[in-house]
Amino acid sequence: MIADLPYVIVSALALWAIYGLLAIGISIVWSSLGMINMAHGFTFAVAGYGAWLAAQYVSDAGIVVLGAGILTGAVSGALIYAVAFLPLHDKPNFVVRSLIATLAISLLGTQALQWLFGPRVKSLPRVFGNTPLELGEIVITADKLGAVLSSTLLLGLVLLWMTRSRRGLEIRAMMQNPEGAALVGIGLRRTAMSVMAVTGALAGLASVLLSQTFFVSPGAGLQPLVKGLIVALCGGLGSIPGALLAAGLVGITEAATATWLGGQYVLMTQFAVIIGVLLIRPRGIGGLLDETRE
Amino acid sequence: MSWRNPQLRRDPAKVPVHPHLPVGRRRWWPRLRAHGGNTWRRMRYPLTRRHVLWTRGEYNPRNLAAEVRILDKRPLWWMAGLAFLAIAPLLTDDGTILSAASIFAIYAAINLVWMLVIGTAGITSLATLAIVGAGAYGGAYLSITYEWPWWSMLPVGGAIGLVFGVIVALPAIRLEGFYYALLTLGLAELCRVYVVQSRVFGSATGGMYGAATHIPDDLSDTGQLRFAYYAAFALMLCALALYRWVDGQRLGRLLRAAPEKNEAFAEAVGIDYRRARIQVFIISSVALGVIGGFYASHFKGASPSLFSMDSLLLMLAMIVIGGIGKAEGAVVGTLIVVAIDKVFIDLGALRLILIGAVMLVSVLTTRAGLFGIQAQFRAWREKKKSERRARRQEKGGEVVPEEATEIADKQAIYHRRFDKQMRDFLKTLVTDEVVEEHRLKPLGQHSEALSRLTNYFRRGPMADKYAVFTIVPMREYRVVALSGQRGVPPRLVNDRTYHSLGDAYHAVFLLRINDLLES
Repeated sequence: MIADLPYVIVSALALWAIYGLLAIGISIVWSSLGMINMAHGFTFAVAGYGAWLAAQYVSDAGIVVLGAGILTGAVSGALIYAVAFLPLHDKPNFVVRSLIATLAISLLGTQALQWLFGPRVKSLPRVFGNTPLELGEIVITADKLGAVLSSTLLLGLVLLWMTRSRRGLEIRAMMQNPEGAALVGIGLRRTAMSVMAVTGALAGLASVLLSQTFFVSPGAGLQPLVKGLIVALCGGLGSIPGALLAAGLVGITEAATATWLGGQYVLMTQFAVIIGVLLIRPRGIGGLLDETRE
Repeated sequence: MSWRNPQLRRDPAKVPVHPHLPVGRRRWWPRLRAHGGNTWRRMRYPLTRRHVLWTRGEYNPRNLAAEVRILDKRPLWWMAGLAFLAIAPLLTDDGTILSAASIFAIYAAINLVWMLVIGTAGITSLATLAIVGAGAYGGAYLSITYEWPWWSMLPVGGAIGLVFGVIVALPAIRLEGFYYALLTLGLAELCRVYVVQSRVFGSATGGMYGAATHIPDDLSDTGQLRFAYYAAFALMLCALALYRWVDGQRLGRLLRAAPEKNEAFAEAVGIDYRRARIQVFIISSVALGVIGGFYASHFKGASPSLFSMDSLLLMLAMIVIGGIGKAEGAVVGTLIVVAIDKVFIDLGALRLILIGAVMLVSVLTTRAGLFGIQAQFRAWREKKKSERRARRQEKGGEVVPEEATEIADKQAIYHRRFDKQMRDFLKTLVTDEVVEEHRLKPLGQHSEALSRLTNYFRRGPMADKYAVFTIVPMREYRVVALSGQRGVPPRLVNDRTYHSLGDAYHAVFLLRINDLLES
């Protein structure tokens, strides 16, 4: 049992990276746009297909596949922005209507992908090569190492951009108070556009990373969406450190359960952990923003 | 300038020709004739004080005929719709349509019960299908393994629903909004994964089949389908009765007074909203469990597709297209989606795209679905109307047609119209020469234009009429405005003092000219 520990730690890290990417996307969108993006899973699936198309018709070099996934994700995010946010954001009952609109996009998009590409799953080429890294006893497979490194890199870049750049400042202002941000001259629509594109890009990266172990399929977005949502929820919607913490917690739970109890118990233990967290802190680990958004 | 009749100043060629559209409230809408006591009589449900139809006796303001107006026509629409649903299966023997009709009735029942949670209580719970599925699986399992009869599935489903109701009700009083929606979504996903992987619940065969059924097998195929439909229709009627019973009574009112984000207000007025929410969750969950048992009996088993995200989205599409918070929305939305889903079955995956598109369009364009369109259209029309009223530059005190229907004294309308034309005409008489003439000779014989003006000013109402107030005779005068009310003193108009009566008269004249030109 102890012998599995390094393996558990490595897979927990890889899962942490992927869940972190997804959950942060959902969390940022909620806190800055006030919209729950249920079409995040659709973005995930579309990005997988974008990467697959690039691998098929352009080149299967790792950087091209990754770039295509990120780019498709960003485009899909912008599309969701144009369909669900732009026409609704100043209308009554925006929160519920945008939730339903993104759900409709998700339904529509998944079926459209199935119609276009067929129900058969596709597999992506190995982006990070096949040579595993050996550290004494521990063997880290290339895809896990690549997942951790690339997502840490992209997350770091995004966080740097959020804290240092002018647009990041605008996004943070919008997270604090959308009306206040509009009053001091921050264009809500423009900022929302960049938020959706960036979170779409994060989902695209997560998609390519997760497709190293799973396959690309039209319904591939559902599981990551549910996982990303519950991680974002557990971390407190709108809190980036909370989301990262929760991603770690959920990743550890999943890796430990899958190794020691068996794959079919993963969701149950995850839910037990999340319900426990929510019963203690009903707004998640770092969630205070819900009240300030009023 | 010579005098002209103001009525003749209208150039007949320039008078706009209005089409004879009815204006204002629809007086021409057909009403029921009434007379005497018949005007006030209303039918009530026996042993209650509730009215069958909400009517009001009125006298038509045009001809004073006694009339009865139906204020809420929805019961009539319901009766017509349900009557259609009751006889529709006898008109066809197409198997596809008949089985689609039973699916419609079952889904409508589920949606009606769901509407109690999502509409009346305003809590976005996505665990509905999970509860139905759990009831169906439990009933099917007991029926297949221990050969229980079909009717036992209903109480078994209800009991499972009760357990689930307690499970989903507890977080509902602590979590809010999205947290709750996502948690219940996760619960549904958990159920799906469990059922797909569990050997007891038929992971190998993709569901549990072979349960007992209420449909007798000694009927013909069409007869079986019709029997199944009528059973499902009875289930839907029961769900409607439950909806009406919860939504229209005390519990529904408590819940509607305590929606999300308004809990503090509800608590302040003495509503125990936690208790009300737990009650509605338990009632709806038991009902959903019973529907689940019926589902298993209807389909002779259960399949994991009940828990899938796609079915949940389809159900949500039904509710959203019809309109959240209305029973007719739940039923008609279900009808539309099931019709698209089953009638266009040849289209394959495209029909789901079509449903998604309909859902998207309805959520982007309407505020509360199909049955919110009327209210939304009325609000839009009121907005446009008031915009148009504000834009009407030439109004000048004249009564606009929309206002005219609200004024009982028609004399007032004609007076205001005449007054407006009069002022339009008098405005043309105001020239520098007239003002100069008045300045030189405030009293006395005037030219015709000036005397028309002063006559008009004299005729004005007493309220806010300008007058000269003597402070020191022959030395100090001020201009005041009369209050028009006995006992209320006049107010000073400005702080200027005039040293002769003529100056004061002229100041009053200038003020009136000013008011005339501004009106």
